[in-house]
Amino acid sequence: MPRQFAYYPGCVAEFSSKELNATTKALAPLLDIELLPMPQATCCGAGDVAQAKPNLYLTLNVRILSEAESMGVDILTICNVCTLNLRRANKMVKEDSRVLEAVNEELVKAGARPYQGTIEVTHLLWFLATEEGLSLLEARGPRGLNGLKVAPYYGCQLLRPSSVMGFEDPDRPQSLERLITALGGEVSDYEGKTRCCGFPIILAREEVALKESHVALAGARDAGAQVMVTPCPLCHLAMDAYQRKTEQLMGEEYAMPVLHLPQLIGLALGLPTKTMEFKRHLVPVDEVLSIVGA
Amino acid sequence: MPATTFRIFRYQPDSGETESYHQDFQLEHGEKTTLLDAILRIQNEQDGTVAVRYSCRSAICGSCACKANGKTVLACMMQVEHVKTDSGQEIVQVDPIGNFTPIKDLVVDMTPFWDKFKAVKPFLIPDGPAPEKERLVPKAAMEKIAKESKCILCAACYSECNSLAADPEFVGPAAFAWGYRFAADERDGQRKNRAKLYSGEHGVWDCTRCMFCNERCPKGVDPRDAIEKLGSIAFQEKVTSDKGARHAKAFLISLRTGGKLNEILIAPYTDPIGAPFNAPLALRMAQKGKLPKSPLTHRVKDRDQVKKLIKNVKETI
Repeated sequence: MPRQFAYYPGCVAEFSSKELNATTKALAPLLDIELLPMPQATCCGAGDVAQAKPNLYLTLNVRILSEAESMGVDILTICNVCTLNLRRANKMVKEDSRVLEAVNEELVKAGARPYQGTIEVTHLLWFLATEEGLSLLEARGPRGLNGLKVAPYYGCQLLRPSSVMGFEDPDRPQSLERLITALGGEVSDYEGKTRCCGFPIILAREEVALKESHVALAGARDAGAQVMVTPCPLCHLAMDAYQRKTEQLMGEEYAMPVLHLPQLIGLALGLPTKTMEFKRHLVPVDEVLSIVGA
Repeated sequence: MPATTFRIFRYQPDSGETESYHQDFQLEHGEKTTLLDAILRIQNEQDGTVAVRYSCRSAICGSCACKANGKTVLACMMQVEHVKTDSGQEIVQVDPIGNFTPIKDLVVDMTPFWDKFKAVKPFLIPDGPAPEKERLVPKAAMEKIAKESKCILCAACYSECNSLAADPEFVGPAAFAWGYRFAADERDGQRKNRAKLYSGEHGVWDCTRCMFCNERCPKGVDPRDAIEKLGSIAFQEKVTSDKGARHAKAFLISLRTGGKLNEILIAPYTDPIGAPFNAPLALRMAQKGKLPKSPLTHRVKDRDQVKKLIKNVKETI
């Protein structure tokens, strides 16, 4: 019996970064996971709605949690920002019954199902970096990554605030490193792996954002990485789609291909490259594919 | 008794040292010795020129923030042994807080921090003449600003703010925690003016949501949450012309019209003037299929519920 999850890919993975959604869906059966769709689920608000209308943010996210509750399964995400928004809302209502009551009142008034507070939200990385997840990967007999030098890039919102996220030490995370090593890659360690990619403000404050992503891109390059891997499609857009702009602004060259986490796993497990839609990346990944022999 | 190597940042321009370096000191200390006590013992027993700023030794004055193995802490609040177990390192490296210019060893120039603090007008500005007696405030109203009132201005948040590292003019988390503390105080009469003051180019919409401030604050102030609440006050006061506020509006429009993010809308709506200059990137993204082909919104099931929530849910900050 496969492990079932209510699948919340988030807006970016469904649209701009379809390659992430496609790869996750292709990977799931190999890892004995069944991803159940959530047809009612809205955008989580990405921190923007929380900053404009915090009560609305909370109510919308609890509505998403409630849909999963009606399905009787926990939520699986593939985006840092969605994970933080859903987990934060979950914590707020689970810790204070008066808040849950007020939110449920609004949900019922709008014709939505009230939430009882029984759902957990986890990210694919967290699921796979546990013993259960790693054994699922091992069971597939990964063909490996041929010593590919991989820079783990966590970004912010899967680590901080740790009071909401709490999977691992936000200053010394090891989940990506564990996966990279288990899959036969070599970890390129660098300080910038837990710093911000700048994406949340990239449209409103582009220069500030690009200077932020520079820190991680330059760090990964200087650590000798052949590729960067990230668990977040927003970080991916900042690092991949905007990389040339960052190079122009900073007067530097990174030439750093960036993979979504499921793509790295897919390469190690031998998923067809066509399925993982690398052609949608702005920084070419050809060299990575040739190193791993894909 | 544990013994530890302390690798302390040294910089003594007054003595003609133009370059900084790290100097190792060995110290035997108690199991529960704080990092500040260890530094002060090194200063007293080994090298009187080691400079550190401190006062209360009780996590109240906020003077002794520094970096211990890369992580900003209050030196008086952190035991040496805790630094070692927390970082997984036997050597304790002590550096000045980040995003500041060191003046001497661990002492930094706090001038920009205080300038920004003053710029948010961190004091009550009530409307109208003063009442005969004191202004009474209900407990619930004070609870709204209780967390932010705990800020001791230690600058631990400022030290690791990723927006500040990229934009030194960013007002920063501590000043905005104080800004919120007064903007949301019901005795204050400057709510709208504060919303305008805090929404400038280096204001609340400059925050990149790296969450380092919430993670590092030793007093549980959660400055990012304060910045978020200032955004909400800006929306309630209809101060929404900043590109950051327009970005948030684009999300609200997306939710109202379909439920999911409308990626065709978001860039031009956020920055109608600047977006055309990003045409080369947009074109390259379009070539890779990264831009939606249709401007139609993505519709979720039962979106009438979402519309009702948007209409009904009231903000309470």
